[in-house]
Amino acid sequence: MIARLTAVYVAIFAAVLAGISFYAYWLIGGQYRSLLAPALDTPEGQSGYHGAMDRVLVTIVAADVPVLIAVGLLAYFLARASLRPLFEAREREQQFAADAAHELRSPLATIATVAQAARIEADPATRAHLDTIAQTALDASALIGDLLTLAREPRPGLLQREPVDLSHVVTTCAREFDARAQAAGLELRVLASGAIVDGDERRLRELTRNLLENALRHAKRTIVLECGGDANAAYLRVRDDGAGIAPGLRQQLFQRFAGGDAGGHGLGLSIAHWIANAHDGQLELESGAGAPGACFVAKLPRLP
Amino acid sequence: MRILLIEDNLPIANAVRAMLEARKFAVDVATDGVAGLDFLMRETYDAAVVDVVLPGKTGFDIVREARAESIHTPVLMLTARDAVEDRVHGLDAGADDYLIKPFVEEELIARVNALLRRGDKPISSVATAGKLTVDTGSREARYDGLALELGTTEFRLLEFLARNANIAFSRAQLLARVWDYDFEGSSNIVDVYVSQLRRKLRVAGGRDVIETVWGVGYKLTA
Repeated sequence: MIARLTAVYVAIFAAVLAGISFYAYWLIGGQYRSLLAPALDTPEGQSGYHGAMDRVLVTIVAADVPVLIAVGLLAYFLARASLRPLFEAREREQQFAADAAHELRSPLATIATVAQAARIEADPATRAHLDTIAQTALDASALIGDLLTLAREPRPGLLQREPVDLSHVVTTCAREFDARAQAAGLELRVLASGAIVDGDERRLRELTRNLLENALRHAKRTIVLECGGDANAAYLRVRDDGAGIAPGLRQQLFQRFAGGDAGGHGLGLSIAHWIANAHDGQLELESGAGAPGACFVAKLPRLP
Repeated sequence: MRILLIEDNLPIANAVRAMLEARKFAVDVATDGVAGLDFLMRETYDAAVVDVVLPGKTGFDIVREARAESIHTPVLMLTARDAVEDRVHGLDAGADDYLIKPFVEEELIARVNALLRRGDKPISSVATAGKLTVDTGSREARYDGLALELGTTEFRLLEFLARNANIAFSRAQLLARVWDYDFEGSSNIVDVYVSQLRRKLRVAGGRDVIETVWGVGYKLTA
């Protein structure tokens, strides 16, 4: 950001400087020509004129370069000084968000843990109530965690990266969802071929789970979960045969709380998008050629 | 089975104790870091469940100091934050596993049982194979005295191979034992990790430490 602002300052100044320099060169050229006017037609006059103009050019450039360097340094310090309060404010905001999330999650952890412990000796009716309490606290805590994640810029520094085989991520997640898909009368079809990415396995599972959660809510009969890779990129694709994404919704699909229609709090796709970006990849909605339903594909840089 | 629980939040401490006692574990509770470390040093436990944020001493300190005193009780770390730094920090300090609060009861029990299974056969924290030493206590690996900079999975793979030196393992076996996967997939993830380890070993002067056994897989020669 500092570099970009410096570059803008320098570019503006360089343009102005170039304008002034050309104008000066042109002006001096005119003066010389009017001074040399009678002799300008002779070869001596011509060469004298060109020699003089060359020296003028050298003088102008010699003056411009140090000025430009000085301005560049000045612009850098100016950019840094003017952006510092912004960076500091952003840092404070992030710290506040992290602290607030932590303070909110602690009581939720107490609620969830105590409710789960209390159900051990409870009668069935009370047990159902305690389950609701525990589940709600767990959901709220997960929501806070998601918001905290989304409050930060997606960058690799927030990941714990290692070589990960996407086919392992896909197979593990498919097993987790298999029973739920069957219970919902859906077929979960898995086509996993190996592709190794430099990724955070836990985060990649979260990405896959979020896409599967979304597919589970919308699919009519089948969900297809695929992964693989070509020479440069690895992909992970989740396709459902539901109603698909309305054209009006596509723009804000990955924004927070955008798709909270059929259950779900609307952060799943934003988080998936965040995770893909943090891996220097993308999450896109693929327009299937005539195929119904939605098809999400995460493209991630592949390890050589 | 006897478990030590170090947790300063009383409602949570009582709740976790109730969960563990319902599974017939004997549970001791310490509510601050100093008392917790003291319990861990003096008594014998099959596993410990340790919160990170504690008065007196943090959970990281407790594990580090216990490991320094050669106490290898398996430790499950409870952390309130889902931060990468916390995970790495906890495992680096010598914790065996971590669980993020709030957790689901079944998850806690599953993790504790996994620790107890691991603790069944007491193993030394240091595995030695030839010039290679892998210390799971301090999470350090050295070849010929030179420290190797390893990622989490690289470390686990090297530790496994060092503990089972001169035995050849297939890729599927390594995936099952080191990665906990019971399916092979079609990638060469094991080869990727082996070649990374070989590169790092070579830098430390170790050639042909991990051998390719044709038709089988890999073995570490000591």
